[in-house]
Amino acid sequence: MAFVKAQKSKAYFKRFQVKFKRRRAGKTDYRARIRLINQDKNKYNTPKYRFVVRFTNKDITAQIVSASIAGDIVMAAAYAHELPRYGLEVGLTNYAAAYCTGLLLARRVLKMLEMDEEYQGNVEATGEDFSVEPAESRRPFRALLDVGLLRTTTGNRVFGALKGALDGGLDIPHSEKRFAGFKKDDKQLDAEVHRKYIFGGHVASYMRALLEDEPEKYQSHFSEYIKKGIEADDVEEMYKKVHAAIRADPMPVKSTKEPPKEHKRYNLKKLTYEERKAKLVERLNALNSAAGDDEEDDD
Amino acid sequence: MPAGHGVRSRTRDLFARPFRKKGYIPLTTYLRTYKVGDYVDIKVNGAVHKGMPHKFYHGRTGKVWNVTKRAIGVEINKQVGNRIIRKRIHVRVEHVQPSRCAEEIRLRRIKNDKLKAEAKARGEVISTKRQPEGPKPGFMVEGATLETVTPIPYDVVNDLKGGY
Repeated sequence: MAFVKAQKSKAYFKRFQVKFKRRRAGKTDYRARIRLINQDKNKYNTPKYRFVVRFTNKDITAQIVSASIAGDIVMAAAYAHELPRYGLEVGLTNYAAAYCTGLLLARRVLKMLEMDEEYQGNVEATGEDFSVEPAESRRPFRALLDVGLLRTTTGNRVFGALKGALDGGLDIPHSEKRFAGFKKDDKQLDAEVHRKYIFGGHVASYMRALLEDEPEKYQSHFSEYIKKGIEADDVEEMYKKVHAAIRADPMPVKSTKEPPKEHKRYNLKKLTYEERKAKLVERLNALNSAAGDDEEDDD
Repeated sequence: MPAGHGVRSRTRDLFARPFRKKGYIPLTTYLRTYKVGDYVDIKVNGAVHKGMPHKFYHGRTGKVWNVTKRAIGVEINKQVGNRIIRKRIHVRVEHVQPSRCAEEIRLRRIKNDKLKAEAKARGEVISTKRQPEGPKPGFMVEGATLETVTPIPYDVVNDLKGGY
């Protein structure tokens, strides 16, 4: 639309079609969402589960979600801020932490559905491509990866979470092309490199490099690691322990929160329809009685 | 040039998307489920080109007879010459809406079943048939005063006062 004198005219606004709310907020990619949610009609009400992974600056969210007309229903969720419970206190948004979060979610879901005995997944985390084999009684739990608005480059943390869920025992259709360690030249996944990333090997080698070359930067960058007393060589051990702890007890802990305090109200509360009507009746009555008095005075 | 009678002829406005409703279609259309025997309305969505029915079926209501992966089979009545044929077409779900034509009957049936069960418990026989609205009951007119109206001779001066 051409602007008139660099102003948006009334006509412009009259014709403007807003995008969907979540698109305006930049949070949902509807093209991808339609394709993820669409269920075959001859499967009627069978839910289609999405394995949703989202990253914030300090946290990782992994959820199993199914869609419904009233709203999406989250079956189970795992957050990186739960990992301190299993022994991981630093580096909560790196590739290894994403792997742990995916693993935690997978074990949680399977435990919820009582499938965790059947589908152990890959207990020893090698970097190789692992897909769940169907067991005798039930078919594996199937979910589809939902990356959201991320750019899916090779080695992205979201694929770390995917690997965690796969090793946990979920059935998620995937290809190894985007795992960390995939070489584009020979079109093969280097399992060694992937394993290094899963156990934080890339972080450990950076720690060693900084320690040698720039000790001050090491102090500032890895200050939390130093505080907890974690050295470059301890990193792999730490993650191994975390994986074992997750497999031992994946169920979430319900945290008790006190009811929030009452705050002082700084603006007027909006009246309901009935209250406004009642106020109007009062005003009219007052007017009528005042007018009645005036008339009597005049008379 | 001759008129042209292609499949989508004369559908410029019929298949156009409504004002300010262009673009992605809301997800409830994909989330709805249809079972065989449901009544559905056909309303073509011009944004989706696959599985579009012919313009004749736009606005018709029919029963579902088949459910496939992305489409629904609908049975619609069409008058051909001197008879009505039941035509079976397959339509993608984007062009289909659940019909409310059977809703009233369904609700009434539930209510009537409940009423009949209650009456049976009390031991009386009731009729749940709908009755048409009868004539209005008689009533007395309250506070009526008689005002006799007689014509008056035409007065030119008075009548011109307003607009002259």
